[in-house]
This record gives sequence, structure tokens and C-alpha cells, in this order.
Amino acid sequence: MNIVVCIKQILDPEIPARDFRVDSVKCEAERGSANLVTNIFCENALETALQFREAQGGKITAISCGPEGAEDVLRKALALKADDAVLVLNEAPNADPLFVAKTLAAGIRKIGPFDAVLVGREAGDWGAGQTGGLLAEELQVPCISFAENLQPSAASGAVKVKRQTDSGWELLESATPLVITITNHEKNVPRIPKTRDVMQSYRKPLVKWTLAELGIDPSTANSYYRVAELFIPRKETQCEFISGDTLEAKIDAFAHRVTDCMRSM
Amino acid sequence: MAIDELRETGTEGTIPGTGFTKAHQLFRESVRRFIDQEINPYMDQWEEAEMFPAHDLFKKAGDQGLLGLSYPEEYGGAGADYWYNMALAEELARVKGGAIPMALGVQTDMATPALNQYGSHKLKKKFLEPAIRGDAVCSIAVTEAGAGSDVASIRTKAERDGDEYVINGSKMFITNGVQADWICLLARTTPGTTFKGMSLIIVPTDTPGFCVSKKLKKLGNWASDTAELVFDNVRVPVANRIGEEGQGFIYQMQQFQNERLISSLGAAAGAEKILRMTIEYCRGRQTFGKPLIENQWIYFKLTELISEVEFLRQMCYHCGRIMDRGDDYTREASMAKLKAGRLVRQVADICLQFHGGMGYMEEYPMARYFRDSRLMSIGAGADEIMLGIIAKFEGIAPAR
Repeated sequence: MNIVVCIKQILDPEIPARDFRVDSVKCEAERGSANLVTNIFCENALETALQFREAQGGKITAISCGPEGAEDVLRKALALKADDAVLVLNEAPNADPLFVAKTLAAGIRKIGPFDAVLVGREAGDWGAGQTGGLLAEELQVPCISFAENLQPSAASGAVKVKRQTDSGWELLESATPLVITITNHEKNVPRIPKTRDVMQSYRKPLVKWTLAELGIDPSTANSYYRVAELFIPRKETQCEFISGDTLEAKIDAFAHRVTDCMRSM
Repeated sequence: MAIDELRETGTEGTIPGTGFTKAHQLFRESVRRFIDQEINPYMDQWEEAEMFPAHDLFKKAGDQGLLGLSYPEEYGGAGADYWYNMALAEELARVKGGAIPMALGVQTDMATPALNQYGSHKLKKKFLEPAIRGDAVCSIAVTEAGAGSDVASIRTKAERDGDEYVINGSKMFITNGVQADWICLLARTTPGTTFKGMSLIIVPTDTPGFCVSKKLKKLGNWASDTAELVFDNVRVPVANRIGEEGQGFIYQMQQFQNERLISSLGAAAGAEKILRMTIEYCRGRQTFGKPLIENQWIYFKLTELISEVEFLRQMCYHCGRIMDRGDDYTREASMAKLKAGRLVRQVADICLQFHGGMGYMEEYPMARYFRDSRLMSIGAGADEIMLGIIAKFEGIAPAR
């Protein structure tokens, strides 16, 4: 089975809140001292693909849409033994999900026939969670969201997918090709690349395509939606003592106060 | 594809002023994940028990490829440049305590460098290979009750009897000593009291006559097992000797340079971690109506220490560059080790002071760092030995 895994490079979401800054004019997060890392759900997606390949064979191609520096997340994918890696160069900051989906779809079509495209359920920076669904639409294939695992099906040309829902799990069977968005689960905890594979990862071939090569217009990078305002909410704390003659009266007053607060939010 | 072939392509982007490349950075990320998954969640438990599961942890580290970074692929190593060892040393500072980095350092840079460099092929196959895989835990045994810094005074002897050495004596303060599968032993193979006539010999710990006479209690690094070892007519094949007979002291002195460099770099990274932690604490701690960090004494002192740590780190990188040229870096490694020993004591003391009462509490990492860091001025050659070595290089030590 040919699996394509989409991988996004993001600002490290683990940086201390104190160090996080936003540029309110550009409506984007400032890099500051933060590292650039692989989005964790994309790592879950790659781990899911690796486990499937180990059990069933096949080929994994990692693809990313981003600036030159995004090569690093693809090198990591190669260190984890993805077979191939493709970087679609896009220097536009904060490209919207539709643009990214169109770009990835063009890249995936150029890579060749595929059976499954795995994407993280959302990215740890904007958390929009839209790229997977939009990508399926662009590729004209079905999409299963919030999956935690991928299994072969007895039926030819199909896969079984277990996914989380609000009320439990669903076990779905789908024909391929399809897009699957992957969530985190104890069974797809990303493995750690081994030293020798890390050393080799920067020696492996990595394909780079420009937007022009894929026929994508870079001026449409933010045409789907616009971030109107970006700010860090201010946290304010106030200490208030609730009074009352009896314990019951205090509890009653407290409940009313909490209700009032919630109504004013 | 062999690593050597890969290296020749030379396409990696380098980070100026060091031998670190992007691949080293990715390696660091892997080490961090390993520490977060396999070490830090258990550190408090291991400290409490004054023991860690060396065989279990080293096997995991071996599987990850962390135990033979710069050793040849023929013996299971990665064939990497020494900057990988240096990156590992820096990242191990993320461990919540000095015990495990020390135990790993003994395995990778203290007990095995001479074996790798001077050992026979058979000896390396038998002892180095399992150590790199993490199937064997090893120790370096030099210090004795009556001979610590004065290595030339060691009395443990290995007398030749046909094709065997018969070893008698004892060793003190041996890291990993309780759990080790083999010991790299420095013993006197020719009677006398000079540095000549000593050899490095591999002693499997299941050899009759070997025993761990005592597990030692220590000021710090509790999770690491430290032992007193006794050798009572222990017989090992002469083939277990590393390199030539009588060259053990020289080999050990060379082996010490790796240890001193790696421990100094780890000390710099550890000191920086503690300083950053202290800065965060001082930002959050309010005294007299303002954050502690806003006192000039405090932010000046922390700034001064951060600067000194950066000097130490750069000195270690300088050692790496000298090593890359194939030159001797004993003088510089000794300087780094001297500075590291003194600096971490200062960092530990000042940072504990700025933490106030919280720094004195066991539930906070500061107290452990204060205890653990004290060893830096003692182990792998005390500060005073470093001064002696540097003075000799500078030509200002009186002739003996």
C-alpha cells in the first residue's frame, strides 16, 4: 500500500507561556527563541503509517508544505524510515488551510497513485483542524477523521479504521484511496529515531518542488479566510469573599455569584 | 550505506564554530525524548532506592544507539564523530539528577575508550560490543583507598602466572561497580611505585575471587551505585590486557581526557539548566512587593554566572576542535575540568541561596543539584590535580 503522510512544521507549543509573543499587526506568532518542531499529531500519523507498513509492507512518502526550513521535519521523517520525502516550498506565512490542502493535493498527485493519505487531526499552532477534510475534497476521495489506528481489511482495496467519537469508538471500513486524519492514542506514540538513522537522514535524497511547478498561485495563500485580530488573552484574578449568616446562605450566595459570572462571560 | 561513505558526501549544514550539524540537532531531539520517556519519570524512585536498573536502562540506550556513538560500526558503534558524544553529554544535563549521566558516561567515555583504541579485535568483540549494545554494564576501576588522585601509587597487582594474571587488591569509589559485568582495571603488573609497570586489564565480574565488598553511601548522585571492590586471587587470561603490558597508566591518562571533556561539557549544560530554573523561580517569587529577579544583586549575579557558563561551554567546544585536528587537548581539557568543578560549586551555592528555603527542600530539584554537583571538583581528577597538569604544561611547576 502506498501511504502519504502530511507533516507540518510548527513553533514548539511547549515553550513557556511567558516567552510566547504575537505580532498583532501581522496577526502571527513571533518565532522568538522557540524551536521549530514537527506537529505532534503529524508524528502520530507517521507512527500509524510506520506500524501499518511493518505489518503489511508498502511505501511511505512524507510531504510537507512550508519554507526551506521545513526540510528539518522531513529529515526527521526520513530518520524514522519514511521511504521518500517531498517538500513543497511555500514561503507565505500562515497560509490558510484551503491553500495548504490545494498545494498538498497537487503535490500528492505529482507523487503518483496512493492508497491512503494520513494527516494529523489538527496542528498545534492554529488548531484549525481543516486541512484533512479539505485535502480529501481536493483529491476527490473519502475522509475519515479522528482515527487512532489503521488496519488492513479482508476485502481487497479497503482498510479498517478505528476512530474516536464523542460516545466511544467506531470501526469503519473504507475503500481506498482515502484521507485519514489521525489523533493521538497510546498505540501511536511516536517512536524515537535511532542514532544511525538520524545520521543517515541528512544524506538521503529529498525532493523539493516550487508552487510554480505544481501550478499553484502563491497570491492565494490567504484568500480562504483572514485573521481579523490576534492577541494573547489577559488573565485577571480577583479575590472576593462571599458573606452570609449561615453556611447554607454562604453556599447560596456563592452559587448566585458564580452564575452571574458565567452569564457575563 | 556505510556511515563513512555518507560522511564523504558532505551535504550537511554546519553550525559555525562547532562541529555540530543539523543531524546533531536531530540527534539531540532524540536524546531528549529518550530522557523524557525512559529516565526522568523514574529519577525520584531511583534516587530514593539509591540504585537504578542499569541493565534495563543501558539496554534501551544501546538499542537507541547511544552507547557507542564514536566507536566503529564493526563493534556495533555508529562510527560518528566525537561531536555526537558531546551533544549527548549536553543533552544528558536534562536528566533530573547527576547520577544517570554519570553512569552512562562511565559506560561510553570512561571505561571503554582505551579498549576501543588499544584492545585486540577479540577483546573488543568480547567486551566492547556487548557494552555498546547495552547487554553489558561496565566500570572503570582506578582509585584505591590509598591512591586516588595519585594514580601512580596504586597497589592492586596483577602477577603473571603462565597465560593468566592473578589479581589481588581492592578498588574504591567505583561507579556502576555493584552492577557491572566487567571492570576495566588499572593494576600494577610490574612491582614498584612509579607510573611505569601498570596495565589496563578487563576483569569479568563473575570471575571467582571478585567481590563487591561494599555498596557505598554518598553525599549525592544517589541513584548511581558506587562500590568498593575486592580482588582475591582473581585469575583472568593475559589476553584480557588492553594493549601492551606496562602502558596502562599512559592509556588511562589518555582515557581521562575524554572523561574530563565530557564531564565538563555536561557540567556546563547542567549549570545552565539550573541557572534558567533559578531565573524562573526569581521571576515568580515576590519579596517586598516585587519579583526577586528585580534586585540588581540577583540579576547581576545570575548574569555573571551565565557568562561564565558560556565561557566554559566554548572552552569545551575548543577541545572538540583540537580533537578534530588530531592534536593533544590535555591542557585544555584540564583547564575546562578545573573551571567546571569550581563553577558548578558556585552555581549550586548561589542558586540555592536565591531559592531560599525552597532550595533546601528535597521536593525541589535544587537540593539534589547542590549535592550532585559537588563531585565535579573531585571525580576524574580533583581540581588540585588539574592545577598540577596545567602548571606542568605552562612550565611553572617545580621539577620533582
